[in-house]
Amino acid sequence: MKRYLILEDGSIYEGEDFGADCESSGEVVFTTGMTGYQEAITDQSYADQILVFTNPLIGNYGITLADYESLEPQIKGVICHQVARHPDNWRMQTTLPKFLKQLKIPGLQGIDTRELVKKLRIHGTLKGRITDSKENAVSISQELKQRNITQGVINRVSTKNSYPVPGSKRNIVVVDFGIKHSILRELAERDCNCIVLPYTATAEEILNLNPDGVLLSNGPGNPEEMLMAAKMVQEVEKHVPLFGICMGHQVFALANGASTYKMKFGHRGFNHPVREIATGNIGFTSQNHGYAVDPKSINKGNLMITHVEVNDSTVEGLRHKKYPAFSVQFHPDATPGPHDEDSLFDDFMSMIDQRKEEERHA
Amino acid sequence: MVKEIWDKPAMQRAIVRITYEIIERYKGVEDLVLVGIKTRGGYLARRIGDRLEEIEKKIVPVGELDITSYRDDRRVDINQEKISNLEPENLNITNKHVVLVDDVLYTGRTIRAAMDALIATGRPKSIAVAVLVDRGHRELPIKADFVGKNIPTALSEQVAVNVEEIDGIDSIELIKLK
Repeated sequence: MKRYLILEDGSIYEGEDFGADCESSGEVVFTTGMTGYQEAITDQSYADQILVFTNPLIGNYGITLADYESLEPQIKGVICHQVARHPDNWRMQTTLPKFLKQLKIPGLQGIDTRELVKKLRIHGTLKGRITDSKENAVSISQELKQRNITQGVINRVSTKNSYPVPGSKRNIVVVDFGIKHSILRELAERDCNCIVLPYTATAEEILNLNPDGVLLSNGPGNPEEMLMAAKMVQEVEKHVPLFGICMGHQVFALANGASTYKMKFGHRGFNHPVREIATGNIGFTSQNHGYAVDPKSINKGNLMITHVEVNDSTVEGLRHKKYPAFSVQFHPDATPGPHDEDSLFDDFMSMIDQRKEEERHA
Repeated sequence: MVKEIWDKPAMQRAIVRITYEIIERYKGVEDLVLVGIKTRGGYLARRIGDRLEEIEKKIVPVGELDITSYRDDRRVDINQEKISNLEPENLNITNKHVVLVDDVLYTGRTIRAAMDALIATGRPKSIAVAVLVDRGHRELPIKADFVGKNIPTALSEQVAVNVEEIDGIDSIELIKLK
């Protein structure tokens, strides 16, 4: 069956349907990863977005239960050049189209994704609608223009209740802005005893749990909607080692007086080179962000830039100058992507251990 | 028996972490002087200095200290003249925050000797100690301020830190003596 993508600028792309049989609107963004479609689709940071894969063929190794990054993905659509017709892999339990059908996510294939991505790179991110008819294209594109699709998105993806992820060593409070399971996996691998709290958690609620460390998770949407969370960070960072990832990084920056801006088309994919300023080492990282911290807004008195993107010098890592707190814009937990920077979790662990040691001696 | 505990990436990460902790402690690099204890401490101090410079865009003076004549465990003649060998000679440590850098902290006698040697050349505002490895078994009341890794050891073991500049490789090894 024919299916269409209508963009807010009025352009229409005609392709074939797959996945769920429904309509949806979202911000059209693209990812440059060659694999990892399942992790991307289930990543809550893509909530309210329609994801275009630049790799021409996806779905060729099916879907595996073990690779979920969240249980209720909020992605609004999947666009690719071609979906594999006969996926085959010893780990797979189902195929990509069936999986999308179950989750009620529409897919669109057979369009020229190269042209679409070029357009997104020139115009920046555009809003779009996946639909089965192009009759009302003009009114749809006008309606898209006026809508703010991602408003309040974290409220929809963050957990409503707190829950534990038991372990036996360090006590970590994880603040959920739309967390990927892989972050919890990395913490579980290091035997952390985690409690995941909703993004509305206050500093008092967190400190009452007496955590050894606090991790701010990734998440979708505009960080400047997270002013309450930034207030929470201002208090928490004084008392407990803190590590922010993606949205967590932006909230940490806001809490310390910096500001964020919406990037033209963002960084999505996992071939983004990042330089660690202290050593000059380059690591390849998995990234997914449409907003970034404005380097000019950073107060050098309390924050230092630790990592920058090599291609466009975006701020990718920050560290507090007075408190044991740091953050990165990319995903050290990778999944999908390279594990070049997963040692940051080890750094967080040693930061916590160091702190405990000091408290014991004090 | 030799067992490698840390490889190059792990060692480099520890040095970066110590660098950040130094900035955190001193709220910047104002009035900071790094002094490495010869031989390997000197190279480690230079590496930390390079990283501080990259981050803070300010040059941090780095010196090297030869403490041989201050040692209490090797000196033959107790009345031998003490020569403090702080390089470069014009390095001013008076009213500075000095961070002593060494590879392994063990009995604490090296640090004691280094403090004596330092104080013979000036009066620092404060002295702190950064080491890559703390292996325990202190014989003096000395504690490291910045530690790369705590490695619990037996007295029958040795910890060897190799640095690329002279050993050709970055690694930390635990050597079991028979």
